[in-house]
Amino acid sequence: MAERKIIESTLARANLSAPGAVDFQPIAVMPNVRVVKLGGQSVMDRGRAAVFPILDELVAARAEGIPVVVLVGGGTRARHIYSIASELEMPVGVMATLGKYIPFQNARMIQMLLAKHGGIYIMPDDFEKLPLYLQLGCIPVMSGMPPFGYWEKREEGSRIPPHRTDAGVFLSAEFLGVRRAIFIKDEDGLYTDDPKKNPSATHIPRISVAELAARDLPDLVIERVVLEYLPRARACKEIQIVNGTKPGMVLAALRGEDVGTIIHA
Amino acid sequence: MTKLVSGDGRTHIDSRLMRESLQDRRVTAGTDSDRDVHIFPEAALIGIGGQSIFDRGKDAILPLVDEIAAIKAAGDKHMVLAVGGGTRVRHTMSIALDLGLPVGGVAQLIGAMEELNAILLNALLAKHGSMPMQRDHFWDLPLYFASGILPIAISIPPYHFWEPPPDDGVLPQHGSDFGLFQLAEVLSMGQLIFVKDQDGLYDKDPAHHADAKHIARITLEELLANPLPTNILDEELFRAWGTAKNLKRIQIVNGLKPGMLTAAVRGEDVGTVIVKEGARG
Repeated sequence: MAERKIIESTLARANLSAPGAVDFQPIAVMPNVRVVKLGGQSVMDRGRAAVFPILDELVAARAEGIPVVVLVGGGTRARHIYSIASELEMPVGVMATLGKYIPFQNARMIQMLLAKHGGIYIMPDDFEKLPLYLQLGCIPVMSGMPPFGYWEKREEGSRIPPHRTDAGVFLSAEFLGVRRAIFIKDEDGLYTDDPKKNPSATHIPRISVAELAARDLPDLVIERVVLEYLPRARACKEIQIVNGTKPGMVLAALRGEDVGTIIHA
Repeated sequence: MTKLVSGDGRTHIDSRLMRESLQDRRVTAGTDSDRDVHIFPEAALIGIGGQSIFDRGKDAILPLVDEIAAIKAAGDKHMVLAVGGGTRVRHTMSIALDLGLPVGGVAQLIGAMEELNAILLNALLAKHGSMPMQRDHFWDLPLYFASGILPIAISIPPYHFWEPPPDDGVLPQHGSDFGLFQLAEVLSMGQLIFVKDQDGLYDKDPAHHADAKHIARITLEELLANPLPTNILDEELFRAWGTAKNLKRIQIVNGLKPGMLTAAVRGEDVGTVIVKEGARG
């Protein structure tokens, strides 16, 4: 019988599920970029009143020479399609595919607003052109949704895709070799409960993933998979949540200041 | 009539998930049920190994291509084909890791090596009516099936630069075995068959142990509880299957033995059959 024609390499005969120790000295692809998420429900669905002041601060940071990549969330239209699709018992992979469209819309809206300041709309396939766009002084804008789509795995007990736009922002930062991913929301970060529903909830300025897990909160400000991945990430070891409805917070975060809540590995 | 709701500074569309945090387990539990809608329940997905078949060259590939053409000519099955990348994928990863590329960079690279095998397979099967299927053009499948076209799908899942950090080691976890599993699962296909160069699973590597015992049938639960040291499918496939809903069985057959794939497509228990107990009907 014909033999396998093997190319010799360190992995040629390894069991890929357990390849053993591999010498790996990771490089950082673009470590100085600020990877920023603009929330869907928390920012976009508030319209002009919330969006315009945040964009002013993104443009100000860019003018200071800070390279910024903006990723945008979904919001209430995503919740609407998830609600109808889950009643129809759509598989999670179909749910994740449906969930791509609203962040696309939102990213296009942000691009139109930022166009005169160098805002350009990019797709996942354009990721390798980031160096060009950033060196030209542009502000690349894209959907935060990772491209998993139909290949999104099911999480036990839920039909909601576990990797949504928070995960996409974190994974973008991780690939680019960026230490901290920034999430612009409509609250100061993490609370002991949902501050929109429980007025006695208190703010947490800095917390580790382990401390957060120990609290066993039924609700979280960030997607659970991000907290699962942070400890084993190579580059992105922190996420920062800032309140975009408070003037100056976004610019401070882009300058690297510790505002809002920082969740660290 | 759709209702718009405002008053908290945001404009919502009225729905069950309106205003809710999608991180809240109390909320997400309400989206679940014990079944998914069935999309292509009659279809069979056949994954042909890269290392096990294609890396062996002509003597292994041509008889298998003839067998697939004969199955197709019999015309009683809706089939989708896919291929693995084999030794070139391993070489790519080996070089990329030595260069220190992040896991997402490695994941971005390896799909190209599988595509080479897909081009070869399509060139050999085109006269029998095969066509490469674009990434997620599943909604074209009824057209393919009705017109007797045999689609060749992309195996590697589109995780690309966004491949999550692996929970163990430095290699991407979402490879082509997982990609094919997910394709069959999300479309609730009736059959998923992997074509390899051995009769399925053994208690130890049959290439090195003459007394290795063949496993004709095993449950997913047994495999997850006691992983085989010599499993020829990726671990991630079994992890994902554990929380999945639709696929009830996965079969592994020997593509070097004429007739085994044909029997498997007909629903016969040849090779190794892995079943998930408690999977819904």
